[in-house]
This record gives sequence, C-alpha cells and structure tokens, in this order.
Amino acid sequence: MVSEPLLREEVQQQIKQINGADIVVGIPSFNNARTIGHVVRAVKAGFAKYFPEQRAILVNSDGGSSDGTPEIVRNTAINDYRTLLTAHPLHTVHKIITPYHGIPGKGSALRTVFKIAAELGAKACAVVDSDLRSITPEWVDLLISPVFKEGFDFVAPLYHRHKYDGTITNSIVYPLTRALYGKRVRQPIGGDFGFSGRLAEHYLTHDVWYTDVARFGIDIWMTTTAITGGFKICQSFLGAKIHDAKDPSVDLSAMLTQVVSSVFSLMETYHDHWVKIGGSSPVPLFGFEYAVGLEPIRVNVERMINSFQTGLRDLSPIWEQILAEETFEGIKRLGGIDRGDFRYPADLWVRTVYDFAVAFHKVVINRHHLLKSLTPLYLARTASFVLETPEASAEEVDRILENLCREFEALKPYLIQRWES
Amino acid sequence: MGILREEDEMQNSFTEALLKTLRSFYEGGMQFLPNLLAALVIVIAGGLVAWILKAIIRRALVMTRFDRFCANAGVTQALTRADIRASPSTLAGQFVFWLVFIIFLMSGISALRLEVFNRLISEFFLYLPRIFAALFILFIGFLIGNFLSRAALIAAVNANLSSPRVISGLVKFLIAILAFAMALEQLQIARNIVIAAFAIAFGAIMLGLAIAFGLGGRDVARQVLEQKFLEKEIGEPDEFSHI
Repeated sequence: MVSEPLLREEVQQQIKQINGADIVVGIPSFNNARTIGHVVRAVKAGFAKYFPEQRAILVNSDGGSSDGTPEIVRNTAINDYRTLLTAHPLHTVHKIITPYHGIPGKGSALRTVFKIAAELGAKACAVVDSDLRSITPEWVDLLISPVFKEGFDFVAPLYHRHKYDGTITNSIVYPLTRALYGKRVRQPIGGDFGFSGRLAEHYLTHDVWYTDVARFGIDIWMTTTAITGGFKICQSFLGAKIHDAKDPSVDLSAMLTQVVSSVFSLMETYHDHWVKIGGSSPVPLFGFEYAVGLEPIRVNVERMINSFQTGLRDLSPIWEQILAEETFEGIKRLGGIDRGDFRYPADLWVRTVYDFAVAFHKVVINRHHLLKSLTPLYLARTASFVLETPEASAEEVDRILENLCREFEALKPYLIQRWES
Repeated sequence: MGILREEDEMQNSFTEALLKTLRSFYEGGMQFLPNLLAALVIVIAGGLVAWILKAIIRRALVMTRFDRFCANAGVTQALTRADIRASPSTLAGQFVFWLVFIIFLMSGISALRLEVFNRLISEFFLYLPRIFAALFILFIGFLIGNFLSRAALIAAVNANLSSPRVISGLVKFLIAILAFAMALEQLQIARNIVIAAFAIAFGAIMLGLAIAFGLGGRDVARQVLEQKFLEKEIGEPDEFSHI
C-alpha cells in the first residue's frame, strides 16, 4: 500500500519558501469560526509582543470545517500593533493553513503541526485550542519562553479553575499520572502545550497515528510521552481557561470513557517505566500565579447520588467482576449512608480506580463496558467531594487534592501487585 | 420298502435343507464377521480418537484462556444458573468427544452393511451440518444477547432511566427469540410454522410494548420522555465542567 504523504504538495512548497523558523504555533480546528479569529489575533499579538525578532509561523491544521474556519484564519490580521503597545514584528508572520491527513481528531491535526515544525527546524512550538475565549498574547510567551529561553522541552498549562471544575482531571487523571510517572503535572490534559522542536520530532517517531491517540487521546499522550521520554518538563500559569460551550451531545459518560481509556492504554504502553517509580516530584512553574474568589455554582449532588444508587442496584454484578472483593464491599457500604453524610473515602476511591485499571489491563469484561460502568462511581466520588467542601477555600481544596494524590502514591504497590498477579 | 425309501428321502432332504440353511447361515456369518470386526475396530478407534481430541481441545482452550473469555461473555454464569458446574473448556472437550465418537459409531454401523441402517446413517450425515449451524447460531446469539443487554443496562443506568434492568432484559429476550427462530429454521423443524410464529411473536411483543408504553405505562413513558428531553431545561444542570 502506498501511503499518502503527510503534508500536501502546496504546504511542502510553502515550507521551502519560508525556509526555516524559530517558533511554530499550531491551532487545530474543526468548525470553530466563532472563536478562532480571537485565537489567531492573540497568537499574532503574542509573536509581535514577545518574539518580534524571531521567525514565527502560525499553522492552522483543520479537520474539514464547513463554516469557513480556514478563511477566517487566512483573513484575520492585526491592523494597528500600536493599540497592543507593541511594534510591528520584524519578520512577516507566515500562516500555513492546511487540512490534515489521517483519521478525524485532534491527534491527527497535531501530527501535521509536529511535521511542519520539524520540517521548518523550529526551536520552540506551542499548540492552543481553537475554541478558547480567554487566550491572551501572554499565553504565547508563557508556553514558548520556557522552551526558547530556559531550555525546557515540554510546557504543561496550569489554569485557574473553580474548585469544582475539571473533576475528571482532579479525581483521576492528575493523581493517577502523578503516582504513575512521578511528576506533578497539574493539568496533564490541559490541551494547550509548549514543546521543543526536538520533542516534536520525538513525537513523530511514534506509531500511534491510527489509534485513539489520534482521535481523542493526544493531550495525555503528549504529556506522558514527554515524561517517560526523559524530557525536561515545566508548567506555566496561564490564568483562566474559558472556551466555547461544548457540544451538548457529548455526554459525561462518553467523555469519561475517552479520557480514562487514554490513561489506561498508556499504562499498558509504559508499564516498564511506571512500575519502577515511587513517590513524585514537583516540576518548575513559570508565570505569575494568582487566586480569585470562589463564587458559588450550582451542583446537583442529589442527581449524582441517585445515579450511584441506580448503579449499585443494577451494575453490581459488573462491578463485582471488575473490583477486588474488599473494594466492592466498601462500595456496597456506601449505598447505606444517609445522603447528607455521603462520603466516598479517598483510599476506597484510589482502590476503585486501580481496580478498574487492572481490569482494563486484564480485559476482565469488554473494555468499553468496563469504562462506561465507571460513571456512577465517578459521580459518587464527585458528589462526596462537593459535600465535603461546600465552604472550602481554594487552599483547603488544594490540600484535599494533595491528600488524594498522596493516597494514590501510597497505594501504588497495591496496583502493581494486582497488575502483576 | 417303499415307505422306508420315502422316509429316507424325506430325511435326506430335511438334512440337506438344514445343512443348506446352516451353510447359508455360516456363509452369511462368515461374510458378516469381517464387517462386524471392522465395525468394532472403527468404534474402538473412534473412542480413542475422540478421547485424544477431547484432551487436545481441552488443553488448547485452557491455554487460550477460553474459560475467562466465557466468564467475560456471561457464558459461565449462564451455565452456573443452569446448575452446570463443569468449566466451558471441559464442556467443549466433552462435546468434541461425543461428536467424534458418534461419527465413528455411525461409520461403524455403516460398515456392517445392513441395508436398513445405511439410509438412516446417510440421512444423519446429511443433517449433521444443520445441527452444527443451529448450535453455532444459538451460541453466537447468546454472546450477542449478553453483550448488547449489558451495553443497554450500562447505558440506561448512565442515562438515569428508571428501569435499566427491564430494558436490558428486553434486549436479551428479543435477541434470544431471534436466535432461537433462526436455529429452528436451520434445523428445518416446522419451517413455515417457525417463521410464522416468530413473525407473530415479534409483532405481538412490539405491539404489546407499544400499548403498554402508551397506555399502561403512560406515567413511566412520560417520566422517561421528560428525563430525556425536558430535564435539562426544567431541572438544574450542573454549572461546572467535568474535564
């Protein structure tokens, strides 16, 4: 079978004409006409303000948008740089706008960005989502400078978020990634990353572009691959992350399945790496961190607990196959707790996640069913967290999260023992 | 003298008839004996081959973790419910043993060259593929039924529907009916009746469901539809992002 070239002929021509670049910022997109103009302006302003002397390229890797997204990228310009209190950049900011090759998904889009960055010999790169409403020119500085000026290879984002936002990250992805790989990367699936040209080339050497990594698992894959590859990792505080409203048809269960399956699949790939690691270490943080008030938000705890109770009633035979006996007994006991006092203890939650990871590895039941059956348990843990922290400040929430992370680290031998049994 | 001669002749002819019969029986027996021996050898060899194949199949299934696959697919649980304690790999071994043994047994009987059995045996061998096909259909139907009913159960729980187990059971039941009808059709047992009965039963179930859902389960239907389409508007959606 003759494989199609990753980059189109016209893109290869454009790369030859541009003849090298210092910085590449990629924006993957699919029908983001509403927001991508703002993202492009922020990136261009960031180039002008923070890298006026460098040759910077903006790449839009599009998934076949039908709403004119590429045209908006092509036509978006900053007419008067003085309004941004900056001078016109010395070099023209070239834009490469191309549809990506491969299966539909952010991973395929970023593969094209990596390839272009590698062809241009870029020193520092970044990727930012196209649905961002809160991106500012500073994001370009914060994602690029640690690589360009400080010699880091991978910059993970650190956002300011409400204490209840990002519960999948907080209760599963962050603590699990930290316990497994030993690096405290707070937002491993943040979506906006900086990385070196060297790391972009390293990414391209992996044969994952026709797997779920290309479809939906690219964020955690980038983070995990950077850590396990021994690259220099840091974080940059970007402030708030506000993005366009998500597609309502994508339900929680599907989202949870995608995220958790990506993490669990990587556990299989990098088993030899994580099995040797104990504890964790912090990674350097750039940017000016600040805290803001925690305005109350609406959370339907009742519905979450109802979902758990329904799961306990109907999914118990499935959970019994997945969970260790002790874990399953612990979960059954949760069913008898009064709603006001409902608590899902941290150690039980950690054992639950580890048992699911082991069952996923051993294919105890169909993997899709396994991951979907995690939803009521995740909602129970989320409900417990909300009930535990109604008046908690950001610091108190951080402390609770830190305790959870330590529990994940402390119980890692349990995971290893069950994984290898 | 004449009487004596007649008696002698009668005696001779009786003896001749007896001898002829005995000779004929002996000759028949002598002709049949090799067939009988051949049949016995075939049956004994069949038992031996069947036993070896059973052992090989069992070992191969154990090595390929067939029992775990069956446990995951719900086959083991179904066997336990039916009070069958043997493992699926043991059962598969037994099945292969009896299948091979019966085939050899039929071949052995055929070696006897008895006209009355020959026709039955050839019919049996012609029918055998249909039995296999029917068993295969039932097995696949069972696996698909279990898989889809579990998927329906989990989806219904995650969608907060009120009766996930009813939905799951219904899915399993419909697939079981379909598989059973297909298997009977394959066995050519009352073909027209099976097809007609299936169409009637399937139609009746659907009509029954429609009536039950529309009339008897009006409240449940309203609840389900409200949950599905209205809750997001009239309920209180969460204001935080899970991811």
